[in-house]
Parts: sequence; structure tokens; C-alpha cells
Amino acid sequence: MSFSWKKTFTIAQREYLTTVRRKAFVFTVIGTPVLYAVLMTLMIRPQMGDRARQMRDFHVLGVVDSSGVFAEAEPEILGTVATDFSVMSAKVSKRDSFRIEVRSLPNQLEGERALKAGEVSQLLVVPANYLETGRLRRYAMSTNIFSSQDERAVSGWVVRSLLRGRVDEKRVDRVERPARGMELLTPDRHAAGAFEAHDERREMVDFLLPFAFGMLMGLCIVIGGQYLLQGVAEEKESRILESMLCTVNARELLAGKLFGLGSAGLTIVGAWVTMGAFFGGPVLALAQVHLQSAVLGLAIVYFLLGYLFYGSIMTGIGAITNNMREAQQFAFLFTFMNFIPFYLMTSIVGRPDSGVAIGLSMFPPMAPVAMMLRLSAPSAAVPLWQIGLSIALLAGAAWLALTISARLFRIGLLMYGKTPTLPEIVRWARQS
Amino acid sequence: MLEVRDVVKTYDGRAVVNRVSFEVRPGEIFALLGPNGAGKTTLIRMITDILKPDSGTITLDGRPVGGGLKHEISYLPEERGLYRRVPVIDALAYYGRLRDLGGREARAQAAALLERVGLKDWMTKQVQALSKGMQQKVQLCTALIGKPRLMILDEPFTGLDPLNVQLLEEVLRERRAAGATVLLSTHQMNKVEEQCDRALMINRGHMVLYGEVRELKRRYADHALMLRAGRLPASVPGVRVVEPLNGELKLTLEPDATPREVLRSLMEQGVDIEAFSHSAMPLEDIFIKVVREGLGLDHGQSGPPTADEPALHAVAQGAGR
Repeated sequence: MSFSWKKTFTIAQREYLTTVRRKAFVFTVIGTPVLYAVLMTLMIRPQMGDRARQMRDFHVLGVVDSSGVFAEAEPEILGTVATDFSVMSAKVSKRDSFRIEVRSLPNQLEGERALKAGEVSQLLVVPANYLETGRLRRYAMSTNIFSSQDERAVSGWVVRSLLRGRVDEKRVDRVERPARGMELLTPDRHAAGAFEAHDERREMVDFLLPFAFGMLMGLCIVIGGQYLLQGVAEEKESRILESMLCTVNARELLAGKLFGLGSAGLTIVGAWVTMGAFFGGPVLALAQVHLQSAVLGLAIVYFLLGYLFYGSIMTGIGAITNNMREAQQFAFLFTFMNFIPFYLMTSIVGRPDSGVAIGLSMFPPMAPVAMMLRLSAPSAAVPLWQIGLSIALLAGAAWLALTISARLFRIGLLMYGKTPTLPEIVRWARQS
Repeated sequence: MLEVRDVVKTYDGRAVVNRVSFEVRPGEIFALLGPNGAGKTTLIRMITDILKPDSGTITLDGRPVGGGLKHEISYLPEERGLYRRVPVIDALAYYGRLRDLGGREARAQAAALLERVGLKDWMTKQVQALSKGMQQKVQLCTALIGKPRLMILDEPFTGLDPLNVQLLEEVLRERRAAGATVLLSTHQMNKVEEQCDRALMINRGHMVLYGEVRELKRRYADHALMLRAGRLPASVPGVRVVEPLNGELKLTLEPDATPREVLRSLMEQGVDIEAFSHSAMPLEDIFIKVVREGLGLDHGQSGPPTADEPALHAVAQGAGR
């Protein structure tokens, strides 16, 4: 069977241009990150606002002390709470001060009355045997399950009050937050044998980077695959393909679609990466993150092979099913498989040399995402033979998927009305 | 031009196309006929290289179809569609580019074709904005763009109003005059009679009729005369039965009588004859008769027809009268 690159390019060009010109595509490119940013803002900002509001509304702590331990307690609680967060610097950008008056109350009955009347914001009841049991009861009219800021404030007051007058102020401060100034030192990546201070921001980026990298890889493969699935299923449903197959052969059509729609998927991810670099660049720069060119090169290899593997499967599904709905149902299983490594992310990133991590990175349907997670994990040291074997297995699987898909594509496109049974699919796949 | 030799295609052990052989000559309009499920679509898919025959050969000017010849053949399938969310001219030019036209040439040809079929003002509109009939015309244009030498049209008249049917016929005549060859598959027998030079009918994968349309009709014609005339005498020598039919008189002749003798006899008896013609069985009736009676060419006995054989390859013995 002859193969015309010119026709393949014409098909790829058309598939790409018609896809990227659609409003839905533009919305995906721009709308998705914007939506994500808005969602994050909506999630983080109110949470921080809630914390600040909780402490602003916490004016008086009523204390019923039956133990007498807190007779000489501090009369107020002073502190600060974060009220804003800068995405650009990944740091808390604003803090508010708060002051809570501590008011002693004669008994629990009076304490509950004062709480219900709003005279105190919360009530702390200290039983007579507190020192023996350590038990305390805190009463509040409402709680916030996402914030323990009030508990922290009361806890700090308990610590300071217990030690007041018994040890000096500096020790009181240290006991209240004993490891606040503890520095973590880890091996220096740039100087062998030396240690360097572990940066918290960098730690966060170290955690997020493999996740983002794997997610981009997975999304790119899935988006390209979905475009293929949609394109083939729609064209089959609308009976366009038969007249096309008179002019081009099935391999040219399949290759053109794979190139064109894969490029559309890459365009989306490219746009997101660009936006991410623009807005998230300062965070990465502060964390001194430099992606190794070898990892980037491998990412491209894994993307191409992963896309070829999933794209071929999606094309085959599009060809054998009768409409988009049916195609989506079949495709779900494969799309899900691509994302399974994310469910095991803590295990893969935490221990990139574990059996689970190695196994997943060798299994072709999960290899692209799993290997990217392993390679970009902070303590990554993936042996070369594992990378080579993983790529070889994925390449073999992609070739097999492409070969079978091309056969299903050629036969399935002309079959209408009935979804083939599994034995029929196997028979088509074996036909040369 | 197109030569199909002993082609066989089998599915699940059943021969869907069984040793079919025919040729389509340059510049002719050739009809491919057959009842539903006869194997026409499979045969067309093999001619267009979408499917491969299990055995036999299909050549265009002596070269196997497919490969470098793909742009020489266009196909308008019975079940057809268009990309809906693109401008009409883009949808059409895309087919042109796939037939090896450059981008500019493809658009120029697309524009000319759309103007020819009366869709000049719709070029930049999206395909989905067109009526069904308009889309039919654009679909026809997809088979015309790139000026393929062989156009295979499967039920091209379906869904067209009489004016557009006339337009399609004109376009086909123009293409034919320009040297193109048309293979027409349709159930509209009147169109075959009007447009086609020769025809092949297949049934259950077997050839049952093959030859010039005029000859097929003559072969299947009744031995009768159609007459528009004044009052006839009570008995006419050589005439077995006289019956009115569609405002005329049908005179069924004795087996040994000839139309010339009967006409001469009528004139000698002073009958005023306004018009006369041979009675011919409509192609549709021939189609029904052949399919109902399960007639067919048996290759095992008669062998595949060749270009040197007479135009009409008679159906099995007894078919015809």
C-alpha cells in the first residue's frame, strides 16, 4: 500500500486548524487555567478570611479553673493570623494582630450562661485534677472544621500560664514552639558531600513539580486521544469517511489524524506551560528549580510514545463504535488507566525505587505518567536500564496498538449499525 | 478504461461478489444495477480500493487501482456526509487538495463548481447552514473536484428536486463531453434509460445482465407494436391480441409476424396511423423480472464476458421472453 506524506500533511493540517479554531478549544486553552486560578482563589482566600474572622470575633476567653493551676495566668492572649497569600511569591503576604481577654469565671454554670449570653467567646473549664489527667473542656457556640487557629491560641496560653513565674520568658517562648527555628539540612545537589539548608518553598515545589509534570503528560495524552476519539466517531457517524477513503488510504487518514490532533493537544499543553511559566516563574526561580534537559528530552519521548499508544487505541475505539456516546464509554477505561499513577503518587514520588514505582513505570499504559513522576521526584535516581526497558516496552505497545488500530480503522469505518462483538474485533485485528 | 476481471469477495464463507467481470469504456455513463444486498457497494469499494478483492483484478488503463491512481477516481457514496462546521468552499477545497490539487487551484475549482450548481452565494457559509438539497449538491461537487477521470456515483439523484435532478444530468453530460467516465449506481431505472450507455446488473454477487441498455431493452421487449391510430378492423393478419394501454393500442403479434408486415396490412386497410413504435419493456420491469426469477449469468458455463464479445451478454437460457 503506497503512502503519501503530502496527503497525510493535508489531513493533519485540516484536523489541526479546524480543531484550534473552535470556540471550545480557545475556551479550553484560556478558560481552564483561568477557572483553575479562580477556583484556587475561591478556595484559599475564604479559608484565610475565615481564620482571620474567627480570631477577630474571639474577644474573650472565659476560664473556670477548679484546679487553681491558672490563678496566676496571663490576662490576655496576643498573636497574629495570616490574612492574605501571594501566589507569585508562594508566601503569606499579610498578617493581622489579635488580642483575646482572659476572664475568670466562678463556676461552670456561670460560664455557660456567659457563653450563651455572648459575654465570652469561648469557655475553658479546668477540672480539679487537671495536672494528673491533663483533661480540659473547651466550650464554643460554633466551630470551623477547617481552622484550629483558636485552639492554637488557647493552647499557647495554657503553656505560657503553666510556666509563668517558674521559668524565664525565653524558655517559655521555646517551650511554646520548641522546633520553630529548627533548620533541616539535606545533601547539596550542586556540591558533592556538602549539605545545604532545606528550603520550604523548594520543598513545596519539589512536591508539586512531579505532580504538575505527570499531570501535564497525562492531560496531553488524554486530550489528544479524546480529540481523535471524537473526530473519528463523529466522522463515522456523519458518513464522511467513505468518500474520503476513495481518495486517501486508511493509513494516510490515520496518520494525518494522529499528527494533526496530537499537535492540537500539544498546543493546549504548550499554552498552559507558557502561562504557568509566566505566572509561576517567580516561584520556580525563588526555589532555584532548573529542570534537567535530559528529563525534558525524556518527557518528549514519553509523550510521543504515550500519545501514539493512547491515540491509536482511541482511534480504534472511534472506528468500531457507532456514535460518540458509545465511544466515550469504551474510552473511559483507558483514560482512567493513564491516571492511575496519580492515585499512587505518594508511593511513587516518596519512594521512586520501590517495586510499585518500578512496576508501574514498566507497564505501558501507565509508563509515561509513572516514569515522569519517578524522574521528577526529589530523590530520583532511576537507573538507565529501567528507563531504556520502559521506553522499549512502551514503544512495542505503541507499535502493536497502531497496527491493530489501523486494521480496525480500515474495516470498522465501513461497518454501521451494529457494535462488533469481541470475537469480531479480534478477527478484524488479525486481518492483514 | 476500467476493467474488472473475475473479482471475488467473501465474508464469513459467503461470496458477496462472485467472479464478476466487466469493463467500463472511456467517456461512457455505465450503470451498476442490482437489488439491495446484491453486492454493489462491496464491488464499488473494491473499485475504489477501499476493500481488496480476495481474487481477481481491477485495473484502470491497465494499472491496478489504488496507489498512484487514487486521485483519478472519485466516489459519491449513497450514505454520505460533509464536515458541517466549516465554510462550504473549505469543505470542498479539502477534497481537491486530497486529489493532489494545490491550495489555490483547489479553491478556484471549488468556487467554479459551487457557481455551476447555483451555490455561489453560499460559499463562505458553514455547511450546516445549508438545506439538505444544497448539501446534496455540495456532496456531488466533492466527486467532481479535481476532475477525476472516473466518477462513481451511488444514488446521486436521491433527495434532489426535479430542477436539481435536471442540473445534475446537465453536469454529468458536461463531464462526459469533457472526457470523464461515470459509473452510476441507482435504483431509478428511468434515469438509467435516459443517461446510461451500458449497464451491469448483479444479484446475490453474481452477474445477471451486462450490455448496452438499448440492447437489453430490445432483448426483453414484448413481440408487440404500440400504435396511436384510428379505428382498427375487427381482425388484423399477424396480430394475436389488441389491448388499450396508456392511451395507445398495444398489438401483440403472432410469433411469425413482423411489425413491418402488420403495419403494411393496416395501411392497406385504410387505418389512419398517427404514430407507432416497438413495444419495449421498461428497464424497471426487466430488473424486477430478472431478480424475481433469479436469473443469472453462470460463469461456470458461459465464462466471463470479454471486451470482444457482443455488447449484450445474455442472461441464462430462457430469460427474455
